Amino acid sequence: MNQSPQVQPPIPYGQKHPLALFVILFLLMISMVAVNICTGSVTISLSELFHLILRPDTTTESFILWKIRFPRALAAVLCGGYLAVSGLLLQVYFRNPVVGPFILGISSGATLMVSLVMLTSLTFQLRIITPFTVTLAAMAGACIVMTIVVAIASRVKNGITLLIIGLMMGYLCSAVTSVLTALAEEEQVKGFILWQLGSFSGFKWDEISLLLLVGSLLLTGVFLLAKPLNGFLLGEEYAKSMGINIRFFRMLILFLACALAGMVTAMAGPVAFIGLAIPHMARMIFSTSDNRILIPGSFFLGALVASGCDFIARSLLSPVELPLSAITAFFGAPVVICLLMKRRVKL
Amino acid sequence: MKNSRPSTQTAALTCHNLVVGYAEKPVISNINISVETGQFITLLGPNGAGKTTLLRTLSRHQPPLAGSIRVGEQPLEQLRQADLAKIMAVVLTDKITPPLFTAFQFVALGRYPHTGFLGRLTDKDKDVVLTALAAVHADDLSHRDFADLSDGERQKVLVARALAQEPQILLLDEPTAHLDLKHRLEVMAILRNLCRDKGITVIASLHDVDIAAKVSDRVALVKDGAITSWGSPEQILTSETVAVLYDFRTACFSHHLGSIEIRGEQYRGRVFVVAGMGKGASIYRMLAKRGYGISTGMLLSNDLDCYVASGLGAKCVSQSPGSTFTEETRTMALSEMEASDMVIEANHHTNGPYQENQDLIRRAVQMGKPVFSFRTASGRNKINGIITVTDNSELFTAMEVHCP
Repeated sequence: MNQSPQVQPPIPYGQKHPLALFVILFLLMISMVAVNICTGSVTISLSELFHLILRPDTTTESFILWKIRFPRALAAVLCGGYLAVSGLLLQVYFRNPVVGPFILGISSGATLMVSLVMLTSLTFQLRIITPFTVTLAAMAGACIVMTIVVAIASRVKNGITLLIIGLMMGYLCSAVTSVLTALAEEEQVKGFILWQLGSFSGFKWDEISLLLLVGSLLLTGVFLLAKPLNGFLLGEEYAKSMGINIRFFRMLILFLACALAGMVTAMAGPVAFIGLAIPHMARMIFSTSDNRILIPGSFFLGALVASGCDFIARSLLSPVELPLSAITAFFGAPVVICLLMKRRVKL
Repeated sequence: MKNSRPSTQTAALTCHNLVVGYAEKPVISNINISVETGQFITLLGPNGAGKTTLLRTLSRHQPPLAGSIRVGEQPLEQLRQADLAKIMAVVLTDKITPPLFTAFQFVALGRYPHTGFLGRLTDKDKDVVLTALAAVHADDLSHRDFADLSDGERQKVLVARALAQEPQILLLDEPTAHLDLKHRLEVMAILRNLCRDKGITVIASLHDVDIAAKVSDRVALVKDGAITSWGSPEQILTSETVAVLYDFRTACFSHHLGSIEIRGEQYRGRVFVVAGMGKGASIYRMLAKRGYGISTGMLLSNDLDCYVASGLGAKCVSQSPGSTFTEETRTMALSEMEASDMVIEANHHTNGPYQENQDLIRRAVQMGKPVFSFRTASGRNKINGIITVTDNSELFTAMEVHCP
């Protein structure tokens, strides 16, 4: 029909070629994972790496590779990716750029439960706090908060109310946690504070497979939501007028975002910054708001950045391991500020 | 349906005993209107009258408190949300600026109810988007970033997005708010064309009575919890109904001129204007603005000056056309002039039906009134004792001097 030379239908996916960017991101991510696997107290060369992958043996290198490095590198990839996607979901739903995955109190709930376990374990006569107990506690906390949030989401009229309720729940949980911290003994508090800063160390294969299995299910769900999510970019009123079942999708979006963030928090602690900043970086790199691009884009970018941060956390002052959240924020915040200043993009 | 107006007039939207409002608090009650397909409907009324609430109820953004709404043959509440989206599209007042969207991509979001599971655009969808952009004269904006558009351009793109839904009914909440005059008229012309060319039923809330009178097929006046009038603008938009609708005290909607006149405070002197054939209109408005009381004559009652003068609340000595001015009219004009502080001659025509007004000027000079004239006096029409001015500012300076 319209064949006038001036009107060329624009590329519906923004100005850049997303496929090329995806390939670059993916390759960068793979190389970062390789770096993470090969470096550390024991350096493994690339040839050794391939050898050990193909033929695992009983050497120390093999043990380190399979029991420590691999799970840790995968954990960084998965957790980083999930947090980024969770943050993207909430930023789109709330149409608010300063929203992150923990805005609805997921991390505060998990932290509260973990503080109950870690700081009051003596009173409960639990002699040993295993990492597994902590994970269970965090998962319980995240689940409780998530249930409350989704239950409230079905009743409130608009997103802002929900956002404020989520914030308030976060404050409530933090209040209890800080009381517990004040009452706890010093040595316990240090361990607790370190947990709060997140870490990808000590991941077991069981946890990795759980992350992979549940996470991929949730991610599939998120990707199927890409179209309604694009509708939500115009706000709930317009979304409704375009035929979106607001209440249903609101609950679904919140459930998926909370589940992804809750799962990561349970296993790696509340890793700051990734979920807030990665969606912005993805938007600017792909220069689009199209969630069909941003969902996979945020995942890969989140995975890349989390891997990079984990590498820095491990190696900067090695053998001392720095807190992960400190690294993510310390290196990530300037990046976002620079991108924003340079591109002059309104988010 | 899309390109030709249906031959039989069918109701696109019917409200029966509808009550709209929030949580047991009715805002407008007892709404019974039937909107025909392809009509342009305007909701007029003061802020807070409930125009937005009514529109939100029609678009199912909030439930009615009572009564029923039918879209075509179907009850609104029984339509699936996805099906309703193919029938009805909205343009809201929410300020939305999604980042990193070209106008094309933004309009393409309107294809939502028509696209598949992942929202991939087919060639047909792209055509519809381009057609929608063309319909609002925004073809050239398609590559621009939505967030960088001006208010007027953005409003056009918002209308295009609604059009991309290929609706039969388009609801717009104050589509011309914040727009400059050019875009205001352009948006109204676009909407008007949608009704005429595509048979789309447009329901819009507006604040410009004068524009509404000129574009609408039907007007609903909303005030004090009810639709006080419903009908064609020619029937119901009179100076009285508009004055009541907006509680006008110092303004007046002129039915004949289709515009609002703003009355002055009349705290200065009284001025008698000799005008005719539209020469007086701008002078009346300037006098009203500066706080002078106005009387004018002698005019034929179909003169533009007569309509403007009545709109401004001036005392207008007139008589219906067809004969020369009667003695009675002349006496009234003289007594009005007697009661005035000054007289302005607005360069009226001295040869046509207003020939006799020339006598009024002579009498004014005899009465000793200050007479100001725009005429470059010469020849046989020259009257001594007239203060000649060349433009309005000179006129008002002279008026200050002679009548402080």
